[in-house]
Amino acid sequence: MNAVPSRLPLRFGRACSKAAMVLVTLLLVGVSPAVQAQALSLINGESTQKVALGDLRDRADTAFTVFDPFQGRDVDMRGISFRDFLIEHFGEVPPTLHFTAWDDYEVSLGGWDDPSWYLVTIEDGEPLSLRSRGPIRLVEREYSGRDIENLRDFNDWIWMIRSIEAQW
Amino acid sequence: MTSPDPNKQQGLSVRWGVHRLFNWLSLSLMSFVGLMVLIVYEARWVYPEIQAYFSQTGSLTGQQLATRARGYVQRAQEELLVAASPLEINSARHSLELAYGLFDVDVYRQKYACTEPSLALMDELAELLDTQQVDPFDAAHALFIPVQCLTRIEMNQLDQRGVVINDFSSSTRRHHQILTYSSVLIFALGLLFWIMHQRQLKRTERANSEKIAWMARAMCDPLTGIGNRSALYQDVAAYTGCSMGLILVDIDFFKQYNDALGHPEGDRLLRRLARLLKSALGEQARLYRLGGDEFAALLPCPNDQMLVHHCEALQLGLEEAQCHHPAHPDNKDVTLSIGGARFVADATSFAAAYEAADKALYQVKTAGRDGWQITASA
Repeated sequence: MNAVPSRLPLRFGRACSKAAMVLVTLLLVGVSPAVQAQALSLINGESTQKVALGDLRDRADTAFTVFDPFQGRDVDMRGISFRDFLIEHFGEVPPTLHFTAWDDYEVSLGGWDDPSWYLVTIEDGEPLSLRSRGPIRLVEREYSGRDIENLRDFNDWIWMIRSIEAQW
Repeated sequence: MTSPDPNKQQGLSVRWGVHRLFNWLSLSLMSFVGLMVLIVYEARWVYPEIQAYFSQTGSLTGQQLATRARGYVQRAQEELLVAASPLEINSARHSLELAYGLFDVDVYRQKYACTEPSLALMDELAELLDTQQVDPFDAAHALFIPVQCLTRIEMNQLDQRGVVINDFSSSTRRHHQILTYSSVLIFALGLLFWIMHQRQLKRTERANSEKIAWMARAMCDPLTGIGNRSALYQDVAAYTGCSMGLILVDIDFFKQYNDALGHPEGDRLLRRLARLLKSALGEQARLYRLGGDEFAALLPCPNDQMLVHHCEALQLGLEEAQCHHPAHPDNKDVTLSIGGARFVADATSFAAAYEAADKALYQVKTAGRDGWQITASA
């Protein structure tokens, strides 16, 4: 009996192959940096604590609208009070914080015992991503009197935060 | 018509001088304060500008966002060129996301037309890479479009920064000139006002000295150089509450002395008598010529014995001086009639003491002159 070549197994094989590729991709994506940006590291001396981004989004209990000079428009933001967050995790507001961003930007800044700073995770109803300068961004809720045309005045708005280290 | 009171005029002049003195001083101080304010203002103006343009190293916008975005686009290109696995493609996607975040800034969208298409291209490429619908090599090649756009933005931003820095430099130079000229002008004005103040100060001091000298002259007998009646009243007021002795002295037969020797000799006798009173009564005694040949002495005197002692000393001194009187009816040298009284100084008791001393003096006159007498304490 001559075997009749059938296209079905071939198509099935191709489909399986594609599915495998997608699966592999998904698995790889699971450990890729983009997905690693799902937690915030809090460093206090020797101890490092990871706070899940999902938790931060769930806890984002304050919504406000602020003019974002980088986007040039009013933006609805949702986040948590940064001062309360620091007290919760470090016991008190550290004098200086060292930030590391996902783009490897690093900076040490002080003066965070200020209720106007918010750790924002949601913008216009959408979770922040790297492309929207997230997933975590520090934003000043009140900045009256500052020139919105001068972006240098907003240097303290830290984007793409990956870790926060307390410096005592 | 009454002539203006010189005392009042002098007072007004001094007050006006003091007023002007403060005006010049105020103007001078205001000038120097103005200079300080100008310097502080200029420094305050320059400092934020320096902060804005020269202190951004290491901060968020110290390096342009476009530069950082380009760095990540180029990293994505490098990763895509060697990408052989989904993991490597995903790493490139990560770089692309970071680049997008840094690129997607309103100021770039507003000012650079290439921004929107570049971001759209990056968006599209990200989707195609996710679904593996584009060859990584082709994607890397396509990313040259955003790289070119970002380079253009960088260059333009650098040019703008250069223009701003040049403007700032020119502005700083201009402000520096303004500051220099203004400082010199204000300093010169301050100095001028200070000189005017010093000049006015000297004038006021001179006016004060003149006033004091004038007042001293007003209290002085020009012939003998001792005090006059006004000085006596003033000194009594100054000694209020003190136990004082008042001695009145009158030259006996002075008219005959003048008639015999002439008035110049009479004046000389008056001057001599003033010196004699001083030497006989001591340094503590204040001497006055009350008019004609009548003198008075005011001196601290705790009891009547001391007053007696002074009167005796005065008469003894006169005897020792042997002042010749060619027309003395009793062929004596010059003699004095002396009356004294003791009192506790104040305006009311002085009037009584003066009356008592005068009464004593006239008793001496009545008794034949050339003697002294004191009355009970006033």
